[in-house]
Amino acid sequence: MGRILIVDDTMFMRTLLKNILFSGGHDIVGEAADGAEALAKYRELKPDLVTMDVVMPNVNGIEALKAIKAANPAAKVIMCTAVGQEQMVKLAVKSGARGYIVKPFQAPKVLEEVKNVLSA
Amino acid sequence: MKSVPVKVEHEGKWIPTTMGIGEDRFRINAPLEREILYKSVVDLEGKKNQVVITAGAEGEFIYRIASVEKVLSVLKKFIITQASAYRLNAFFMSPAIRGGVLIQNAQWEKGAIAVMKTGIWFVSQENQVCIPLEEVTGIELTSREIQEKDLDVVKIDHLSENEVVTSFVLCPLTTLQVLYNFLKEATRDTEVSEEIDPLVGQVAMLVYSGMDSSAIENMLKLSHKDLDAIYEKLLAVGLAEVLYIRKEVQLTPKGVRYISETVKSPMG
Repeated sequence: MGRILIVDDTMFMRTLLKNILFSGGHDIVGEAADGAEALAKYRELKPDLVTMDVVMPNVNGIEALKAIKAANPAAKVIMCTAVGQEQMVKLAVKSGARGYIVKPFQAPKVLEEVKNVLSA
Repeated sequence: MKSVPVKVEHEGKWIPTTMGIGEDRFRINAPLEREILYKSVVDLEGKKNQVVITAGAEGEFIYRIASVEKVLSVLKKFIITQASAYRLNAFFMSPAIRGGVLIQNAQWEKGAIAVMKTGIWFVSQENQVCIPLEEVTGIELTSREIQEKDLDVVKIDHLSENEVVTSFVLCPLTTLQVLYNFLKEATRDTEVSEEIDPLVGQVAMLVYSGMDSSAIENMLKLSHKDLDAIYEKLLAVGLAEVLYIRKEVQLTPKGVRYISETVKSPMG
């Protein structure tokens, strides 16, 4: 089970992910609503894994991913993209993302992906 | 014609027999004694270790055949490539996304697609995938980056073993447009034409994600009655169906007495 930071600009998606991850026995150590807040919380909380929305105001998910990887190259980040943003995946791969979930998502698959990334 | 052992459904029973698989037809021996041209087939449904083949101009002949996967695979390939169906050569990727998680080793496969009465069949050298039309939840003409180029694809969302799966089809744009229109028409019954209230939409999203009623009530700060009313709206427009009805109870005086006595006893 992991300590997870959830990054998404909508409270609805953060709450949904929080519920899914909590039901899988994970500890939600923090939440952030944009990339800048994500980086600050990552440095402060040192989570085992980050779920990162791609499209966010101020600093977007890809930029935040790059900043987190610069701070800790071993950081485990799963990107959350909406349908139609799959092209972002390649950019995220180059930037060091370990996994991807596409909204809308189903709880068992999210937990499976989180488990895979945490155990890798 | 190569002869293989199969079972066929005849008068409500599965009867062991043999079937000949030829280049342009197949033959089911006694008790059916029927020879069927692949081009007369109008529908093919694949189930575990069996196929249901519908043939004839009016779909009047239905054959249920059970056999090992190797035999069925050969039969299905002949049918899919020759049956009376909208068919095209294309690349496909199925599944590409399962339950919202990208399948990282998913690959484009070169093959054929046949849109039959009840399902879309993808067939390649290695795979045969069927998407029943009644399981299709979305059709979209979109673009996808393939070998550094943005190419037009048809995206098909569908249910498979209670999971939402996404598949992609790639072929020349004009063919793609025809396929898209064809699929849109074939799946018109499941299109959402009603205005959906944002709160009702949020509840639908949470149900999709696998949340149960109490989790939804907590997340959206809804009362039991509010959520029931939203469920009624989802049911009324056909976006949801009742899975089961659960009772909420409170203890009677007898129940309270039982609990009180239980905690007093040494075992409590």
